[in-house]
Amino acid sequence: MAAKKNTGEITFEPLTYDPQYILMVNHLKKYFPIRSGMVSRVTGHVKAVDGVTFNLKRGTTMGLVGESGCGKTTTGRTILRLAGEKTGGQVLFNGKEVYDFTNKEMRSMRTKMQIIFQDPFSSLSPRLPVGEIIGEAVREHNLVPKAEFNDYIDQVMDNCGLQPYHKERYPHEFSGGQRQRICIARALALNPEFIVCDEPVSALDVSIQAQIINLLKELQEQYKLTYLFISHDLSVVEHISDTVGVMYLGNLVEYGETGDIFRNPLHPYTRALFSAIPVPDPTVKKQRIVLEGSIPSPANPPSGCKFHTRCAHCMEKCKKEAPIQREAEPGHYVVCHLYDK
Amino acid sequence: MIDKKEVNEKNENTSYSLNDDRRVRVLSPGALVVKRFFRNRLAVLGMIMLLSMFLFSFVGGLISPYGQDQQFYRYESQMKEYAGVVKNSDFRYTAAEGEKFDSVLQAKFQLALQKGQKVFNYKNVKYMIKEEGTDFYSISSKGTMLAIACKDIVNADGAELSFNVKYEALKAYTGGQTSFTEDGTDYTLDEEGNITAGDTVVGYISRFVVSPVDNGIVFERVFKEELEEAIDAGEDEFTYTDAEGSENTYKITYDPTSQNWSVKKETATYVYDSYAKPSKAHWLGTDTNGMDMLTRLMYGGRVSLIIGFIVVFIEVVIGVILGGIAGYFGKWVDNLIMRIVDIFYCIPSMPLIIILGATMDAMKVEPMTRMFYLMLILGFLGWPSIARLVRGQILSLREQEFMTATEACGIRVSRRIFRHLIPNVIPQLIVTCTMSLGSTIITEATLSFLGIGVKFPFASWGNIITDVNEAYVMTHYWFVWIPAGICLLIAVLGFNFVGDGLRDAFDPKMKR
Repeated sequence: MAAKKNTGEITFEPLTYDPQYILMVNHLKKYFPIRSGMVSRVTGHVKAVDGVTFNLKRGTTMGLVGESGCGKTTTGRTILRLAGEKTGGQVLFNGKEVYDFTNKEMRSMRTKMQIIFQDPFSSLSPRLPVGEIIGEAVREHNLVPKAEFNDYIDQVMDNCGLQPYHKERYPHEFSGGQRQRICIARALALNPEFIVCDEPVSALDVSIQAQIINLLKELQEQYKLTYLFISHDLSVVEHISDTVGVMYLGNLVEYGETGDIFRNPLHPYTRALFSAIPVPDPTVKKQRIVLEGSIPSPANPPSGCKFHTRCAHCMEKCKKEAPIQREAEPGHYVVCHLYDK
Repeated sequence: MIDKKEVNEKNENTSYSLNDDRRVRVLSPGALVVKRFFRNRLAVLGMIMLLSMFLFSFVGGLISPYGQDQQFYRYESQMKEYAGVVKNSDFRYTAAEGEKFDSVLQAKFQLALQKGQKVFNYKNVKYMIKEEGTDFYSISSKGTMLAIACKDIVNADGAELSFNVKYEALKAYTGGQTSFTEDGTDYTLDEEGNITAGDTVVGYISRFVVSPVDNGIVFERVFKEELEEAIDAGEDEFTYTDAEGSENTYKITYDPTSQNWSVKKETATYVYDSYAKPSKAHWLGTDTNGMDMLTRLMYGGRVSLIIGFIVVFIEVVIGVILGGIAGYFGKWVDNLIMRIVDIFYCIPSMPLIIILGATMDAMKVEPMTRMFYLMLILGFLGWPSIARLVRGQILSLREQEFMTATEACGIRVSRRIFRHLIPNVIPQLIVTCTMSLGSTIITEATLSFLGIGVKFPFASWGNIITDVNEAYVMTHYWFVWIPAGICLLIAVLGFNFVGDGLRDAFDPKMKR
């Protein structure tokens, strides 16, 4: 009981703004209520995001990996304030708390932070021509003078590998890769600083994935963009990211430089996860770490360390006490009792 | 040669290059829908049906030379019972001046006559019967003549004739004499029974009693004479020119059981030209009120279609606003609006409309105002289904990623609703509206048929059919109900075909 109480109420130090970070996330929580019964009483919470802490440097890409249902997408959306109110924690965007903005301020802030969705089919309004989809928000926020509007849209489309005549077409006339380019163009047209890429390539086939990833990288260099790249494809994440965060059941269990993480995964879950990456060499005998059991319900997570039910290194402490984030190596953070010192 | 080759190459180049203008023409979703719609033969047929109904109703009314409530009349000649003629077989009694000859005495006289007695008693008074001529008797008592009884009748022509004149005239007539004198005046009798004093005809004797069927008609003597002649001659028809110079033909029929002749006159009455057969003037005949059926169908179509459109418009306005609010804002707003919808679904609309119709009857609401009320009532009862449809659509659309995208782009709520949500609901809305147009027209026709919808003088396809509430009309005047029925059928079928066609056309999976 005591342990459970502890996990529920971790107090955190309020962050101080560090200008090198465009985004600072501190103990971010997002719970979805479970309602049941005649009067829709709240009987519990799905703890989709349960205390995520990381900082994101300007002009870098952070990869967010984890298995399905671990809260990657919710984290992305909660940062952008697209999933209603947060449950707890801080999201500082350029040093300002995102959830403190009024609706009006938030609307203008939207141009600075954009999102690219996983499904390029449902994320485009089917009844609007592409030019309108890309340009609508630009016009809404008066980002460009009217006279330059058309040229600006052409420019953005060109940057994303779209032709000017595509403007009059409708989304249903495009392939998946082209649609994803339209989504990117829509996000880019607002001239954002930060883009959440919510599995932007998982719906595409491999050759198109490479095109889109390269496009994103080019655009990053050109516009000094910062990405939060959500994916479950580890090789893609390794390719694009500067830093990587690994999520398990709403927690960010490990977080650090891409090289460090891939070379030296510290958390038992990360190790298990990375052991599943296929190696394109038939002679290599892989040491696959197989996790037992399945991912617990986020509505009723295990006490203490959430991973202790499946962890090979489980200790008594793990069952009672939730670990806190520690810097195991410089710039390499891990949430595990193994590294308590 | 070389030039030609170059030209050829150039041509080939141009024909294979994919310039913007050579690309497949870009079609908007709307254009695609139109294209798919026109590929559907049934839908095009429905469209043609609807267009023809619209032309018929809206343009036809302008072309038609008649008004919708213009009534037509005709003269109808009817053989009407005009007079009854009875050959007198009973004795007619005429009492002398100052005397009485009541029915008891008449009966006693008859009895005595049958027994062949010349005398009868009544209350100790002795009455004497004297045969004056054929079927002509006089009854006297104590030497004074009381009355005469005769089967022939003396009719006065103008001033009433005195008893004595009548007596003398009958005596002369039955006795076969041609003249008699009474009270110093000389009268002559001709063989037709005319009694002439000097040059003027004062009366005539005849055995026929001519009585008019209608009160207030006095027959001219000449008419009676000619009629009697015709009867005597056994004719069954005779023409008579009256004093005003109009010639009429009369038909005489003899009824042997009552032993009288009935005279029928052909009378012309000015009546509504109701149920006239189709003719050049009235292509589809006329209805019960003598109005041109074709014109009424046209105006009726106008009313039916306009009511359909306005009702559906009201339904859509209320339904989209409430359904949209419920779907977009959700939570308790949604709950409240949907419970209201449930309540509206519970209202039995037919009885309600009938009660309201009866109320309007009782309040004597103007037909025009009544029409507006009808539209409002139908509209207010019909919106819940549209609200449900819109709410369902918006609920599912709201969760789509492109709606999250608009939020992420910071687009205004109003723009989100009207640019992104509503356009995606419109296809289903159009289909539902087209379908409900048909059913609204049917409902209106039903109400009008029952007499609680559109009222005279306004025509509607429903109240045109109302005339057929008798089997006789249905079996004898096809043109009263078949054209209106066909109009209804075409309009409703057209709306349904077009609705089906639109539904198929809006479905992007239908790539025919």
